[in-house]
Amino acid sequence: MSVLITISLLAILVLYLGLFKAKKALLPVSILGLLGALSLSFYEWGSYAQPIYNGMMLFDNFAAAFSGITILSTLLIFLLSKDYFERISSNIAEYYTVILFSLAGIIVMVSYHNLTMLFIGIEIMSVSLYILAGIKKRDFASNEAALKYFLMGAFSTGFLLFGIALLYGASGSFDLLEIRNYILSAPQEVSPLFYGGILLLIVGLCFKVGAAPFHFWAPDVYEGSPSLITAYMSTVVKTAGFAAFLRLFLFCFSPLSEFWSPVLVTLAALSLLIGNITAVYQQHFKRMLAYSSISHVGYMLFAVISLNGSSDTSIFVYAAAYSIASIMAFAALILLQRQVGTDSFDSFNGLARKNPFLALTLTVAMLSLAGIPLTAGFIGKFMMFTSALSTYHTYLVLFAVLNAAIGIFYYFRVIVAMYFKEADRHELIVSPYYRLVLGLSAAATILLGVYPELISRLI
Amino acid sequence: MINLVWLIPLFPLIGFLINGLGRSFLPKGAVGFIGSLTVFLSFAVSLGIFFELNGSVTKSFTIQLFDWIQVGNLSIPFSFQVDPLSSLMLLIVTGIGFLIHVYSIGYMHHDTGFAKFFSYLNLFVFFMLLLVLGSNYVVMFIGWEGVGLCSYLLIGFWFSNPAYASAAKKAFVMNRIGDLGFLIAIFLIFNTFNSVEFAKVFPQAASLTAGSDVITLITILLFVGATGKSAQIPLFTWLPDAMAGPTPVSALIHAATMVTAGIYMIARSNILFTLAPFTLDIIAVVGLATAILAALIAITQTDIKKVLAYSTVSQLGYMFLGLGVGAYTGAFFHVITHAFFKALLFLGAGSVIHAVSNEQDMRSMGGLKSKLPVTFYTMLMGTIAISGLPPFSGFFSKDEILAHAYEHSKLLWLIGVIGAMFTAFYMFRMLFLTFFGKFRGTTEQQAHLHESPASMTFPLIVLAVLSIIGGFIGVPEALHGNHWLAGFLEPVFSASEQRTGASHLDHSTEYILMTVSVIAAVVASFIAYLRYARNNHVPVPDTAERTAFANVSYNKFYIDEIYDALITKPLNILSGFFYRIVDKTFIDGFVNGLGRATAEAGKGLRLLQTGNIGFYIFIMIAGIVALLVYGFYNI
Amino acid sequence: METQTSAINYLPIVFQMLVALGFVVLTMVLTHIIGPKRKSKEKLSPFESGIEVVGNARQPFSIKYFLVAILFVLFDIEVIFMYPWAVNFREMSLEGFDGLIEMLVFMGTLLLGFIYIIKKKALDWE
Repeated sequence: MSVLITISLLAILVLYLGLFKAKKALLPVSILGLLGALSLSFYEWGSYAQPIYNGMMLFDNFAAAFSGITILSTLLIFLLSKDYFERISSNIAEYYTVILFSLAGIIVMVSYHNLTMLFIGIEIMSVSLYILAGIKKRDFASNEAALKYFLMGAFSTGFLLFGIALLYGASGSFDLLEIRNYILSAPQEVSPLFYGGILLLIVGLCFKVGAAPFHFWAPDVYEGSPSLITAYMSTVVKTAGFAAFLRLFLFCFSPLSEFWSPVLVTLAALSLLIGNITAVYQQHFKRMLAYSSISHVGYMLFAVISLNGSSDTSIFVYAAAYSIASIMAFAALILLQRQVGTDSFDSFNGLARKNPFLALTLTVAMLSLAGIPLTAGFIGKFMMFTSALSTYHTYLVLFAVLNAAIGIFYYFRVIVAMYFKEADRHELIVSPYYRLVLGLSAAATILLGVYPELISRLI
Repeated sequence: MINLVWLIPLFPLIGFLINGLGRSFLPKGAVGFIGSLTVFLSFAVSLGIFFELNGSVTKSFTIQLFDWIQVGNLSIPFSFQVDPLSSLMLLIVTGIGFLIHVYSIGYMHHDTGFAKFFSYLNLFVFFMLLLVLGSNYVVMFIGWEGVGLCSYLLIGFWFSNPAYASAAKKAFVMNRIGDLGFLIAIFLIFNTFNSVEFAKVFPQAASLTAGSDVITLITILLFVGATGKSAQIPLFTWLPDAMAGPTPVSALIHAATMVTAGIYMIARSNILFTLAPFTLDIIAVVGLATAILAALIAITQTDIKKVLAYSTVSQLGYMFLGLGVGAYTGAFFHVITHAFFKALLFLGAGSVIHAVSNEQDMRSMGGLKSKLPVTFYTMLMGTIAISGLPPFSGFFSKDEILAHAYEHSKLLWLIGVIGAMFTAFYMFRMLFLTFFGKFRGTTEQQAHLHESPASMTFPLIVLAVLSIIGGFIGVPEALHGNHWLAGFLEPVFSASEQRTGASHLDHSTEYILMTVSVIAAVVASFIAYLRYARNNHVPVPDTAERTAFANVSYNKFYIDEIYDALITKPLNILSGFFYRIVDKTFIDGFVNGLGRATAEAGKGLRLLQTGNIGFYIFIMIAGIVALLVYGFYNI
Repeated sequence: METQTSAINYLPIVFQMLVALGFVVLTMVLTHIIGPKRKSKEKLSPFESGIEVVGNARQPFSIKYFLVAILFVLFDIEVIFMYPWAVNFREMSLEGFDGLIEMLVFMGTLLLGFIYIIKKKALDWE
């Protein structure tokens, strides 16, 4: 559990560094701290099988693996943040701190063993995000995003809390193990309150991960927030949301899956449909990514729907693949926004000629997001579909495959623009940090696509 | 040695990486040397493995490299299979591949994309080796897709010419249609046998009854995959267009190796096909029909590479005929000999094209015999071999296929022999038009005529020798041979042969069949000689009138136009319909309507709530209510 | 007496709610329809004990007020955590210093936040 402590202390340290004007040290210290936390999460891998802190937390392999991938994604995003916040505001230290705080919340979310910890984790993460969405103080869109996110987030938190309260009312405990025993002791006589609680928890968690029809905040907030924060929200936060989702449903609610799985099937199908259909019509890269992220939620819900031995692995692989590819896409987006000023698909024209490296890595990212073989995204989708098929959700998989085909269309638009459309343009300057992130991520994507065993045995 | 099999695909991959990454600064000499050397190293290892396998008692080895995909009960190891079939194929791919790399050093010397070309070629060899070595359908499929990709890249190598780029696209699309069949077949195989490993699927299949529906379906789908890659009716039109690529590519990919992948795949899965007699009949008929149709088209073509392309399609048709009548050994024998003489013919054609300053129309050639002696004599060997004149290699392999066809049905045999006649005719026509008579090109071209450099003639000579003697690996019993190839491949096909029974034509019948086909070939080549060498007949220019048949043949039976009318046009109309009606009206209407509805709803709700966010929450509430209603009814 | 709960038992409550809601809606709609409407300047102006209205009631506050208020609430709420700790302090002290150290960590964290606020001059009004 030293991962959580490390990150919390790191956040305070960075805050004080900012206070004492050590601006140059902010980024290196944050990165070193995160590297430390990352190695700790590997070090603690396999060391806890029992809940700790009076049953509040359980840092098992599941938690260690998800902590690892969220910390890694945050690390990549931090590498991209060089010179990013300086352009927005003078309070740079605060932004690193707030991101680190939200990461601390995320660590709680992936390792809770008690519903109160789930709630606290989600809140620590969410409150930080409300601030981050609005860090462009003078930008109207950023303000709007923050306000919208806050209002709707607060609203959905109410449902989450109410759901937890109902579960407590029915089972008499917040502890996951106790709740599980409550169901198992008399599966036929579970109180109606409990069912209501499950439904409200689904609402709350689906809001956090952005599943339809609770996704309306996502496109506006993603668009309005600074791109780097959007990258953080759509990768790390989503991964954590799914980890929390899966932990609860896999551990506690699996005996009642007949009740809730039709609900999730509907939500998954709806997310796929809305995300993909709307993404097709977008003219801007960022908005396309926002909508496509909704459709990825649909795919990831598959793992929750088809609870079986491998659904934790499959969601882990999918989340890892999706996060890495998204970070590459956002890196390209930031470069483009900063140096061209727009992110419409036309602004990608002829990129391959001027920036072959950037174009190549972005192509890898798009292929992975579209789920083309030999990329990590394919393995993720493949695992999702197999696990859904193993529980006989044939029509859902059929529907998802159709949607994946739609997805290919809009992801390939970027590739086509880069390679097959000519335009007079200047070469984008790609700083060494960006090169590092892009290169590493592309290599990881291919590596996982060829040899997924590398991470799929972590859980 | 067999444990080192992973080295074989590794070398070309390294070559690809070096040439691909170093393409901007490596000198041409180094690029050519590295490209050829890596393939040669693979060839050396392949040779070692071949001899070890030949001497070994066990004939099938599976070398597992690592666990690749492990999900639930699906386990796909990344492993290679070494057995007589794959080891022979390895020799062909790396051996001919090496020769063509050497040839390319001379042929592509003036091209600016020299390093790119070699890196693509290396990559192709890598994927082709994966295809050949894979011990399950998934690894094979990766190779299958990979060679398709490389073929696409190499056909469109001179992509600045729109016609070439669209030829590449055509090849890719047609291959994808076939690939879909292959992919579905893999799913079905997994569904039926619970594995995609050859070593697990085939023994299980051998215990099944013949003619069951699922096997028939699987084999038909596999065959659909094969028609795409091996250019059979109805997916053959991409191959002639693929001649847009540089000539070494045509020789390597579109004659010797990649296009035979379909035959390799079917030979590999022979037990499945033996269990599906219905599919075998389809394969025989489609193969023969392709062989005849392509031969008829080849007769009137004037582009030297187009003649060879249609000839390839036609020969592939013969191989499928062989598979269809159960002559797996014969079909694979023809794969080997065809690889020799067709690679030779293509490289010879490349040498000719090189000499006449990139002219490909035979109407502007002629009389090159004295100027290009090496090219002429080697191509003559190739022509004799493909025409099936003894004792050249083509005679033995084609004869084995035809003998099995005769056993199966006399009609198939008859049509096959007629096709062979056409083959001899168009091949000699090509030879005479190119090398006999007077030079018909411009004076500028005439001044430039020269024999190709040694790096190009050396492969020609090697291949010519192989074309001459290559047939002796499979001399039939009737000619007092012991058919070494059949014995070597016996472990691969034994399960099938147990079911079908061995060949039982008596020797006198075989002699008659051989004599008939040899006479047919001789007559056909003599007619070609009279018409094109003695009478100096030259095909008419494009503008002139032709006879009805010649016109149909010259225009390739209007297959492209028919596809255009039957498939492309309706698809365009359909997509136009979808675009205008479904897309514009319904989807756009729906999406725009949704947007408008949101705006309207927002407008309407503004009196109660402030702005859009209220609507968002409204929808959320609607969702929650729906969930709770659901919950209420399902507790 | 046995306690049985089924949906039918709640029917009276549903009726009660329907009647209550219906009454309110009905009265509001009826007064809206049949009541007389006179719109004159005097009628629409706010009534403030007969004195003329001066200025707007909604005056902007200084944003600093909210900052101070929120910080106050924050530290105020944190103090509540001291109560359960204090109540259990005697029992905890029997097991050693763990309870004390935990509270010190908590207070230390708060103190760090407080120092941050002071240094950032969040409490300076000017």
